[in-house]
Amino acid sequence: MTHPSESDLALYAGNDLGWFARRRAQHHLAGCRQCRDEVEGFASLRDELAGRNELPALSWNRLAAEMKANIRLGLAAGECVRGEPSGAALAWMGGGRAVAACASVMALLAAGLFIERPSPPAPQVTASDSAVLRATANGIELNQGGQTLSLLDGRSDKVTYSAGAQGSMRARYVDSDTGNVTINNVYVQ
Amino acid sequence: MSEAVEPSLELRERQNRFVSDHLRRIFAQIYRIVGNVADAQDLTQEAFIKALQRQEQLKDEQKAAHWLSRIATNTAIDFLRRSRRAAFVEMDVKAESQDESPEDLLLRSEQRDFLEDGLRLLTARERAALMLRDVEGLPAEEVARRLNCSKATVRSHIANARIKFRRYMEKRKA
Repeated sequence: MTHPSESDLALYAGNDLGWFARRRAQHHLAGCRQCRDEVEGFASLRDELAGRNELPALSWNRLAAEMKANIRLGLAAGECVRGEPSGAALAWMGGGRAVAACASVMALLAAGLFIERPSPPAPQVTASDSAVLRATANGIELNQGGQTLSLLDGRSDKVTYSAGAQGSMRARYVDSDTGNVTINNVYVQ
Repeated sequence: MSEAVEPSLELRERQNRFVSDHLRRIFAQIYRIVGNVADAQDLTQEAFIKALQRQEQLKDEQKAAHWLSRIATNTAIDFLRRSRRAAFVEMDVKAESQDESPEDLLLRSEQRDFLEDGLRLLTARERAALMLRDVEGLPAEEVARRLNCSKATVRSHIANARIKFRRYMEKRKA
Protein backbone atom coordinates (compact mmCIF):
# COMPACT_ATOMS: atom_id res chain seq x y z
CA MET A 1 0.00 0.00 0.00
CA THR A 2 1.32 3.46 -0.89
CA HIS A 3 0.72 5.94 1.89
CA PRO A 4 0.08 9.62 1.24
CA SER A 5 3.08 11.84 1.92
CA GLU A 6 3.51 13.41 5.35
CA SER A 7 2.89 16.83 3.77
CA ASP A 8 -0.42 15.65 2.34
CA LEU A 9 -1.50 14.28 5.70
CA ALA A 10 -0.50 17.55 7.39
CA LEU A 11 -2.57 19.50 4.86
CA TYR A 12 -5.48 17.05 5.05
CA ALA A 13 -5.67 17.57 8.82
CA GLY A 14 -6.24 21.29 8.30
CA ASN A 15 -8.58 20.87 5.32
CA ASP A 16 -5.98 22.45 3.05
CA LEU A 17 -5.75 19.83 0.31
CA GLY A 18 -7.27 20.37 -3.12
CA TRP A 19 -10.43 18.47 -4.02
CA PHE A 20 -8.79 15.56 -5.90
CA ALA A 21 -5.97 15.09 -3.45
CA ARG A 22 -8.47 15.22 -0.62
CA ARG A 23 -10.68 12.50 -2.15
CA ARG A 24 -7.61 10.33 -2.73
CA ALA A 25 -6.47 10.79 0.88
CA GLN A 26 -9.97 10.07 2.21
CA HIS A 27 -10.09 6.83 0.28
CA HIS A 28 -6.74 5.79 1.71
CA LEU A 29 -7.53 6.82 5.26
CA ALA A 30 -10.68 4.71 5.29
CA GLY A 31 -8.48 1.63 5.29
CA CYS A 32 -5.27 2.78 7.01
CA ARG A 33 -5.15 3.13 10.78
CA GLN A 34 -1.55 4.36 10.77
CA CYS A 35 -2.33 7.34 8.54
CA ARG A 36 -5.49 8.15 10.52
CA ASP A 37 -3.34 8.42 13.64
CA GLU A 38 -0.96 10.71 11.75
CA VAL A 39 -3.84 12.96 10.74
CA GLU A 40 -5.15 13.02 14.31
CA GLY A 41 -1.70 14.03 15.51
CA PHE A 42 -1.62 16.96 13.10
CA ALA A 43 -5.17 17.97 13.99
CA SER A 44 -4.29 18.08 17.69
CA LEU A 45 -1.64 20.72 16.96
CA ARG A 46 -4.44 23.23 16.52
CA ASP A 47 -5.50 22.69 20.12
CA GLU A 48 -1.93 23.19 21.26
CA LEU A 49 -1.68 26.40 19.29
CA ALA A 50 -5.04 27.69 20.50
CA GLY A 51 -3.32 29.07 23.61
CA ARG A 52 -1.42 31.29 21.29
CA ASN A 53 -4.63 33.07 20.42
CA GLU A 54 -4.84 34.61 23.87
CA LEU A 55 -2.94 37.76 24.61
CA PRO A 56 -0.91 37.69 27.80
CA ALA A 57 -2.36 39.52 30.79
CA LEU A 58 -1.47 43.16 30.32
CA SER A 59 -2.86 46.59 30.91
CA TRP A 60 -4.32 47.14 27.46
CA ASN A 61 -5.50 50.71 28.01
CA ARG A 62 -2.06 51.80 29.08
CA LEU A 63 -0.35 49.96 26.25
CA ALA A 64 -2.80 51.32 23.68
CA ALA A 65 -2.35 54.90 24.93
CA GLU A 66 1.41 54.50 24.69
CA MET A 67 1.22 53.10 21.17
CA LYS A 68 -1.17 55.82 19.99
CA ALA A 69 1.11 58.53 21.35
CA ASN A 70 4.16 56.95 19.70
CA ILE A 71 2.35 56.57 16.37
CA ARG A 72 1.38 60.24 16.48
CA LEU A 73 4.97 61.24 17.28
CA GLY A 74 6.31 58.97 14.54
CA LEU A 75 3.99 60.55 11.98
CA ALA A 76 4.92 64.07 13.07
CA ALA A 77 8.62 63.19 12.85
CA GLY A 78 8.11 61.66 9.40
CA GLU A 79 6.40 64.80 8.14
CA CYS A 80 9.26 66.95 9.42
CA VAL A 81 11.89 64.74 7.78
CA ARG A 82 10.08 64.57 4.46
CA GLY A 83 9.36 68.29 4.59
CA GLU A 84 6.23 67.82 2.56
CA PRO A 85 2.59 67.03 3.34
CA SER A 86 1.10 63.60 2.64
CA GLY A 87 -0.54 62.82 -0.71
CA ALA A 88 -4.09 63.41 0.47
CA ALA A 89 -3.15 66.62 2.20
CA LEU A 90 -1.32 67.77 -0.91
CA ALA A 91 -4.34 67.03 -3.09
CA TRP A 92 -6.49 69.06 -0.76
CA MET A 93 -4.12 71.92 -0.38
CA GLY A 94 -3.32 72.59 -4.00
CA GLY A 95 -0.22 74.45 -5.13
CA GLY A 96 -0.65 77.71 -3.22
CA ARG A 97 -1.50 76.05 0.05
CA ALA A 98 1.54 73.77 -0.14
CA VAL A 99 3.63 76.85 0.43
CA ALA A 100 1.61 77.61 3.53
CA ALA A 101 2.17 74.03 4.71
CA CYS A 102 5.94 74.35 4.28
CA ALA A 103 5.82 77.59 6.22
CA SER A 104 3.88 75.79 8.95
CA VAL A 105 6.56 73.09 9.18
CA MET A 106 9.24 75.74 9.46
CA ALA A 107 7.22 77.48 12.14
CA LEU A 108 6.87 74.15 13.98
CA LEU A 109 10.61 73.62 13.89
CA ALA A 110 11.15 77.15 15.13
CA ALA A 111 8.66 76.54 17.94
CA GLY A 112 10.51 73.32 18.83
CA LEU A 113 13.84 75.15 19.06
CA PHE A 114 12.19 77.83 21.10
CA ILE A 115 10.81 75.32 23.61
CA GLU A 116 14.13 73.45 23.90
CA ARG A 117 16.09 76.54 25.01
CA PRO A 118 17.77 76.18 28.47
CA SER A 119 15.47 78.62 30.25
CA PRO A 120 12.51 78.88 27.96
CA PRO A 121 9.76 81.32 28.52
CA ALA A 122 6.35 79.65 28.41
CA PRO A 123 5.32 78.82 24.82
CA GLN A 124 2.54 81.01 23.63
CA VAL A 125 0.32 80.96 20.57
CA THR A 126 -1.71 83.94 19.42
CA ALA A 127 -4.34 82.98 16.88
CA SER A 128 -6.08 86.30 16.73
CA ASP A 129 -6.06 89.68 18.46
CA SER A 130 -8.23 88.41 21.24
CA ALA A 131 -7.19 84.75 21.80
CA VAL A 132 -3.87 83.73 23.36
CA LEU A 133 -2.79 80.18 24.19
CA ARG A 134 0.12 79.62 26.52
CA ALA A 135 1.77 77.01 28.66
CA THR A 136 1.93 77.73 32.37
CA ALA A 137 3.39 75.85 35.32
CA ASN A 138 0.06 74.04 35.79
CA GLY A 139 -1.09 73.39 32.26
CA ILE A 140 -2.40 75.11 29.14
CA GLU A 141 -4.12 78.46 29.53
CA LEU A 142 -6.41 80.16 27.02
CA ASN A 143 -7.02 83.90 27.40
CA GLN A 144 -9.75 85.46 25.37
CA GLY A 145 -11.66 88.70 25.89
CA GLY A 146 -10.37 89.09 29.44
CA GLN A 147 -11.45 85.58 30.42
CA THR A 148 -9.14 82.68 31.15
CA LEU A 149 -9.68 78.95 30.69
CA SER A 150 -7.07 76.59 32.15
CA LEU A 151 -6.59 72.91 31.30
CA LEU A 152 -4.61 71.55 34.23
CA ASP A 153 -2.09 68.77 33.76
CA GLY A 154 -2.20 65.66 35.96
CA ARG A 155 0.39 64.59 38.47
CA SER A 156 3.63 64.57 36.59
CA ASP A 157 7.07 66.01 37.11
CA LYS A 158 7.80 66.47 33.46
CA VAL A 159 5.36 67.91 30.96
CA THR A 160 6.42 68.51 27.35
CA TYR A 161 4.71 71.44 25.69
CA SER A 162 4.72 72.12 21.99
CA ALA A 163 3.17 74.98 20.09
CA GLY A 164 1.54 74.30 16.72
CA ALA A 165 1.95 76.77 13.89
CA GLN A 166 -1.74 76.49 13.12
CA GLY A 167 -2.83 77.84 16.46
CA SER A 168 -2.61 74.91 18.83
CA MET A 169 -0.84 73.97 22.03
CA ARG A 170 -0.01 70.42 23.08
CA ALA A 171 0.91 69.10 26.52
CA ARG A 172 2.25 65.56 26.80
CA TYR A 173 3.03 63.89 30.10
CA VAL A 174 3.19 60.57 31.85
CA ASP A 175 1.23 60.26 35.08
CA SER A 176 3.82 59.40 37.73
CA ASP A 177 1.36 57.19 39.65
CA THR A 178 -0.42 55.23 36.93
CA GLY A 179 2.07 55.50 34.08
CA ASN A 180 -0.72 56.61 31.72
CA VAL A 181 0.37 58.81 28.84
CA THR A 182 -1.85 61.86 28.38
CA ILE A 183 -1.79 64.24 25.45
CA ASN A 184 -3.84 67.41 25.60
CA ASN A 185 -4.28 69.41 22.43
CA VAL A 186 -5.91 72.82 22.61
CA TYR A 187 -6.80 74.60 19.39
CA VAL A 188 -7.62 78.29 19.17
CA GLN A 189 -10.75 79.09 17.26
CA MET B 1 -11.25 78.19 14.12
CA SER B 2 -9.68 79.24 10.87
CA GLU B 3 -10.55 77.38 7.65
CA ALA B 4 -6.93 76.42 7.03
CA VAL B 5 -6.79 74.39 10.23
CA GLU B 6 -9.89 72.26 9.62
CA PRO B 7 -8.63 69.77 6.98
CA SER B 8 -5.53 69.08 9.04
CA LEU B 9 -7.66 68.38 12.07
CA GLU B 10 -10.04 66.30 10.02
CA LEU B 11 -7.14 64.24 8.70
CA ARG B 12 -5.79 63.79 12.18
CA GLU B 13 -9.15 62.71 13.51
CA ARG B 14 -9.51 60.23 10.67
CA GLN B 15 -6.05 58.85 11.45
CA ASN B 16 -6.88 58.60 15.16
CA ARG B 17 -10.10 56.75 14.40
CA PHE B 18 -8.26 54.39 12.06
CA VAL B 19 -5.69 53.63 14.76
CA SER B 20 -8.36 53.11 17.43
CA ASP B 21 -10.43 50.84 15.18
CA HIS B 22 -7.58 48.50 14.31
CA LEU B 23 -5.00 48.79 17.08
CA ARG B 24 -5.97 45.75 19.12
CA ARG B 25 -6.44 43.50 16.10
CA ILE B 26 -3.09 44.43 14.59
CA PHE B 27 -1.29 44.14 17.91
CA ALA B 28 -2.74 40.65 18.44
CA GLN B 29 -1.84 39.63 14.90
CA ILE B 30 1.77 40.73 15.32
CA TYR B 31 2.01 39.29 18.82
CA ARG B 32 1.03 35.85 17.53
CA ILE B 33 3.86 35.96 15.02
CA VAL B 34 6.67 37.45 17.11
CA GLY B 35 5.59 36.00 20.46
CA ASN B 36 6.38 38.80 22.86
CA VAL B 37 4.70 42.00 23.94
CA ALA B 38 7.57 44.47 23.74
CA ASP B 39 8.43 43.62 20.13
CA ALA B 40 4.76 43.42 19.18
CA GLN B 41 4.29 46.93 20.55
CA ASP B 42 7.18 48.36 18.53
CA LEU B 43 6.14 46.57 15.36
CA THR B 44 2.50 47.61 15.72
CA GLN B 45 3.58 51.24 15.91
CA GLU B 46 5.85 50.76 12.92
CA ALA B 47 3.05 49.16 10.87
CA PHE B 48 0.61 52.00 11.62
CA ILE B 49 3.16 54.68 10.81
CA LYS B 50 3.93 53.00 7.49
CA ALA B 51 0.23 52.75 6.69
CA LEU B 52 -0.72 56.26 7.72
CA GLN B 53 2.06 57.78 5.66
CA ARG B 54 0.20 56.50 2.58
CA GLN B 55 -3.10 58.29 2.99
CA GLU B 56 -4.30 57.45 -0.52
CA GLN B 57 -4.46 53.76 0.47
CA LEU B 58 -6.83 54.50 3.34
CA LYS B 59 -9.80 55.91 1.45
CA ASP B 60 -11.68 52.61 1.26
CA GLU B 61 -12.03 51.38 4.85
CA GLN B 62 -12.30 47.69 4.05
CA LYS B 63 -9.37 47.70 1.66
CA ALA B 64 -7.39 49.76 4.14
CA ALA B 65 -7.99 47.14 6.85
CA HIS B 66 -6.68 44.36 4.57
CA TRP B 67 -3.77 46.49 3.49
CA LEU B 68 -2.89 47.27 7.09
CA SER B 69 -2.97 43.54 7.92
CA ARG B 70 -0.53 42.85 5.11
CA ILE B 71 1.80 45.57 6.31
CA ALA B 72 1.58 44.15 9.84
CA THR B 73 2.36 40.61 8.68
CA ASN B 74 5.29 41.72 6.54
CA THR B 75 6.65 43.96 9.28
CA ALA B 76 6.58 41.03 11.71
CA ILE B 77 8.20 38.66 9.19
CA ASP B 78 10.94 41.17 8.39
CA PHE B 79 11.59 41.56 12.08
CA LEU B 80 11.90 37.80 12.62
CA ARG B 81 14.26 37.52 9.67
CA ARG B 82 16.38 40.38 10.95
CA SER B 83 16.56 39.24 14.52
CA ARG B 84 16.38 35.42 14.46
CA ARG B 85 16.64 35.70 18.16
CA ALA B 86 17.40 32.69 20.28
CA ALA B 87 15.47 33.97 23.23
CA PHE B 88 12.40 36.09 23.63
CA VAL B 89 11.79 38.22 26.66
CA GLU B 90 8.21 38.09 27.83
CA MET B 91 6.46 40.43 30.19
CA ASP B 92 5.74 39.13 33.65
CA VAL B 93 2.92 36.65 33.62
CA LYS B 94 0.16 38.01 35.81
CA ALA B 95 -2.90 36.32 37.18
CA GLU B 96 -5.88 36.67 34.86
CA SER B 97 -8.25 36.21 37.75
CA GLN B 98 -7.96 36.08 41.49
CA ASP B 99 -8.81 32.39 41.38
CA GLU B 100 -5.61 31.62 39.49
CA SER B 101 -3.14 29.96 41.82
CA PRO B 102 0.65 30.34 41.60
CA GLU B 103 0.73 26.79 40.24
CA ASP B 104 -1.67 27.76 37.45
CA LEU B 105 0.47 30.79 36.65
CA LEU B 106 3.58 28.69 36.47
CA LEU B 107 1.86 26.14 34.27
CA ARG B 108 0.62 28.82 31.89
CA SER B 109 4.07 30.35 31.71
CA GLU B 110 5.64 26.96 30.99
CA GLN B 111 3.08 26.22 28.27
CA ARG B 112 3.87 29.53 26.61
CA ASP B 113 7.61 28.84 26.73
CA PHE B 114 7.01 25.35 25.38
CA LEU B 115 5.09 26.72 22.40
CA GLU B 116 7.67 29.43 21.80
CA ASP B 117 10.51 26.93 21.67
CA GLY B 118 8.66 24.96 19.01
CA LEU B 119 7.73 27.98 16.93
CA ARG B 120 11.32 29.13 16.94
CA LEU B 121 12.23 26.12 14.82
CA LEU B 122 10.15 27.48 11.95
CA THR B 123 11.26 30.02 9.38
CA ALA B 124 9.66 33.45 9.58
CA ARG B 125 7.26 32.72 6.72
CA GLU B 126 6.37 29.24 7.99
CA ARG B 127 5.63 30.69 11.37
CA ALA B 128 3.50 33.49 9.93
CA ALA B 129 1.61 31.07 7.67
CA LEU B 130 0.90 28.70 10.56
CA MET B 131 -0.32 31.51 12.81
CA LEU B 132 -2.55 33.03 10.16
CA ARG B 133 -4.04 29.67 9.12
CA ASP B 134 -4.26 27.66 12.35
CA VAL B 135 -4.59 30.36 14.99
CA GLU B 136 -6.39 33.17 13.19
CA GLY B 137 -8.27 30.69 11.00
CA LEU B 138 -7.81 32.61 7.75
CA PRO B 139 -8.40 30.67 4.50
CA ALA B 140 -5.27 29.73 2.57
CA GLU B 141 -6.13 32.26 -0.17
CA GLU B 142 -6.09 35.09 2.35
CA VAL B 143 -2.85 33.83 3.90
CA ALA B 144 -1.34 33.85 0.39
CA ARG B 145 -2.47 37.45 -0.11
CA ARG B 146 -1.03 38.49 3.23
CA LEU B 147 2.30 36.83 2.50
CA ASN B 148 2.28 38.02 -1.10
CA CYS B 149 2.87 34.56 -2.55
CA SER B 150 0.94 31.80 -4.33
CA LYS B 151 -1.51 29.44 -2.65
CA ALA B 152 0.80 26.52 -3.48
CA THR B 153 3.66 28.23 -1.65
CA VAL B 154 1.42 28.85 1.33
CA ARG B 155 0.42 25.19 1.41
CA SER B 156 4.07 24.25 1.37
CA HIS B 157 4.80 26.64 4.27
CA ILE B 158 1.84 25.32 6.25
CA ALA B 159 2.75 21.66 5.67
CA ASN B 160 6.39 22.24 6.63
CA ALA B 161 5.37 24.18 9.71
CA ARG B 162 2.94 21.50 10.90
CA ILE B 163 5.47 18.73 10.32
CA LYS B 164 8.28 20.54 12.15
CA PHE B 165 6.02 21.57 14.99
CA ARG B 166 4.57 18.10 15.40
CA ARG B 167 8.01 16.49 15.50
CA TYR B 168 9.00 19.00 18.15
CA MET B 169 5.92 18.19 20.22
CA GLU B 170 6.51 14.45 19.97
CA LYS B 171 10.14 14.82 20.92
CA ARG B 172 9.37 17.00 23.93
CA LYS B 173 6.57 14.77 25.13
CA ALA B 174 8.58 11.58 24.75
